Amino acid sequence: MIGTIAKFESGALLRSPQTWAVFAVIAAIFGYLFLQSLEEFLKVQPSLALQDHPPGLTGYLSARFLATLAPLFSVLGPLFAMRSFSDEFRHQTMALWQSSPISNLSLVLGKFVGVLIPLTLLALLAVVMPAAMGFMVNIDIATLLLSAVGLLLVAASCAAIGVYFSSLTKQPMIAIVASLGVVTLLWLLGGASFTNPAMLALQQFSITNHLSGFFQGYLQSKDVLYFVLLTALFVALTVIRLGSLRNSGHQ
Amino acid sequence: MPSDSTPLLQASDLTRMVSTTAVVDNVSLSLQRGEILGLLGLNGAGKSTTLKMLAGVLTPDAGQISIAGHSLLDDPMAAKQQIGFLPDQPPVYPDMSVAAFLKLSAQLRRVPNNAIQKQVNTIMGRCELSSVAKKRIGKLSKGYQQRVGLAQALIHKPAVALLDEPSNGLDPQQMQSMRTLITEVAEHSCVIFSTHLLSEVTAICNRIAVMHDGKLVHNQRADENLDQLQNLFNQLVQKQSGSAVT
Repeated sequence: MIGTIAKFESGALLRSPQTWAVFAVIAAIFGYLFLQSLEEFLKVQPSLALQDHPPGLTGYLSARFLATLAPLFSVLGPLFAMRSFSDEFRHQTMALWQSSPISNLSLVLGKFVGVLIPLTLLALLAVVMPAAMGFMVNIDIATLLLSAVGLLLVAASCAAIGVYFSSLTKQPMIAIVASLGVVTLLWLLGGASFTNPAMLALQQFSITNHLSGFFQGYLQSKDVLYFVLLTALFVALTVIRLGSLRNSGHQ
Repeated sequence: MPSDSTPLLQASDLTRMVSTTAVVDNVSLSLQRGEILGLLGLNGAGKSTTLKMLAGVLTPDAGQISIAGHSLLDDPMAAKQQIGFLPDQPPVYPDMSVAAFLKLSAQLRRVPNNAIQKQVNTIMGRCELSSVAKKRIGKLSKGYQQRVGLAQALIHKPAVALLDEPSNGLDPQQMQSMRTLITEVAEHSCVIFSTHLLSEVTAICNRIAVMHDGKLVHNQRADENLDQLQNLFNQLVQKQSGSAVT
């Protein structure tokens, strides 16, 4: 059933001209940033060669190109998720789901996976650009794949935040503004220099602190766990929200 | 499948509160196979809320609902497989084609994969939608959209069909077709449909219930005390002066 719902949700996204407009803009941004990073690499290559352990092309592009896309993916997640439930409320179609033999968890997971499908396509597009260099030079595919996993995890957790906020309102704009508020906070926590122990503990919840490894070619289970838990938290909150809708009747 | 004497729908003491007001107050209903219950009432009487509770869209604050022997509160998945629900606003997606939407509806209602296409074709035929199968729902007239809503509610041959004002937006000819369809559906299931038109319930229902202020004030066979029903309804209409009831 999750597959059916995911297919419906991704189909709805992919039928929308706005999605394709976003795809076009994002592809252009990817292309520009990729070429810029490549040009930078060619400029600094002689000085890099003097270092003891210079980063290769893959390492450089992962750190300079793919890592810079992470904030963009954390915006794209809520952008694709903002209509997932708010449109159902606006078009009064929630009754179709609520009266069908589908659990709230299946519905939320289906919607979430549906949102994740176009995000996965974009993550693949981002990785394909440096991977295409493999025709000319040696490319470390594992590093690229790890970067793609990083992009997907950040997109997934931010999409889960977007799905949750879309379950709170009929207005997609309110959903995305609220989602981006939380996402921005999660990014900013990492950049602040706190001295207070409580605030330092809070800093552990920052996206920044858990993302860098993916683009530097090493995988830490605590980083993966962070994104999985962040995603699970907002999926669970959405399930609770849908349950409360049956009790409150307000949509 | 329960025997013919077992009620397909059994609701007891359903209550739904909004703040401190009971919008549905101790409503009990029991329907068997073949019964068509017309739920009559003025705007705000609690008809839609009652249907939403019976469909599992809203949770009752008190009371029990059993659908074809399955408790809607304790075993909602099994109970909901036996429910077809058309809300007052048909839950359709304007950017989907009629056939694609009905296929989705069949999948959501767990119609086996090998039977989906057949069920879609059958229901499109019965709801006179075959000619618009490939059209986008958003491009259809309100009457057609209502029929698509009706088709999604009936596609899985539910034991209990709950139809909230199904004649909304239909012209007289379409209303007649809809009545015929409801009568056919009731051959193997039970139907509740809400309306504020007395003429509509007397035309096809074999049981009539009247709701007022959240309470069931009348619940009898359609051939019993029709004059009493007429008087009761006229009184309610007069009470709610200024309403758009005809």
